[in-house]
Amino acid sequence: MEEKQLTEQESLRLITDMINKARSSFHESGASAILWGSVVAIAGLTDFAQRFWNFRVGFDIWLVVLAAFIPQIIISIRESRRRKVVALEENAVDAIWMVYGISIFMLTFYLNVVPGVSERMLSDQGQELMVKNLSTGEVMHQPSFVISGYSLLLLLYAMPTLATGIARKFRPMLVAGILCYIYFLISCFTTTVYDLLLNGLAGITCWLIPGLILRNRYLKAKSV
Amino acid sequence: MFKELDPILHSQLRLAVMSLLISVKEAEFTFIREQTNATAGNLSVQVQKLKDAGYIDVAKQFKDNYPQTTCKITPKGIEAFEAYVKALQQYLQVGKG
Repeated sequence: MEEKQLTEQESLRLITDMINKARSSFHESGASAILWGSVVAIAGLTDFAQRFWNFRVGFDIWLVVLAAFIPQIIISIRESRRRKVVALEENAVDAIWMVYGISIFMLTFYLNVVPGVSERMLSDQGQELMVKNLSTGEVMHQPSFVISGYSLLLLLYAMPTLATGIARKFRPMLVAGILCYIYFLISCFTTTVYDLLLNGLAGITCWLIPGLILRNRYLKAKSV
Repeated sequence: MFKELDPILHSQLRLAVMSLLISVKEAEFTFIREQTNATAGNLSVQVQKLKDAGYIDVAKQFKDNYPQTTCKITPKGIEAFEAYVKALQQYLQVGKG
């Protein structure tokens, strides 16, 4: 591009061209979305399979979610090194996912801690939860638990997904966010086993599929 | 009464740089060079002019032991760009009439 005086029409055309160039230059690699989509799908579907077909993998499958933080750190460092341009909505989207990360950690804490605390509180008052089998009349001790805890996870998955879809005008995530709210509504009427299946599906629809679409776009843009 | 077009912006390369920067939070010098197809020398001169006018901020730092220059539009630059586009629209409307 040379240094020359422009007519008004040329100026307007140049502005439009450059704005379009800048907008089409944002190509997320999709690596993070693929990672988290795969991990949540594996954990949710494996846990569902364990309970549905009565087998054990020998360890808490949800630990793979914790393990995924290591590749995520590597992906974040590599992407920040490669990034030549930062989009206007970048800070807002980063803030959404950071708050989501904190919230999911807090919710996991809640789901793990509250049953034990509830049981201790009841015990301090000389009480315990009991369930009665209506057909046999048998009364048994019921360990304390959070009702439909996996529904809360679905509710939380939906928020950053839909917000990112809206902020980036990225239809697959927008649709996935809405779908995840539908999964949440369904999970309010299903047992824990099927809530786990919905968690696995949420991983696939919210992150894995949008991640693969982003990856495809990124590779296409890179090859041009 | 027509507003005079801002001479800082009314030049091909400087306008291209400003149009790129108005659409992003910040961009590396190399990205701007790729998008505008300008030579590094020419682009440096025009970037410096925009910086001197207070339209953009230029930050120089090291990334992985390589120098990296990042450009970002300033509030004054946004104001000037918007005023320039408005003035352009005025000219074009009269041209149509």
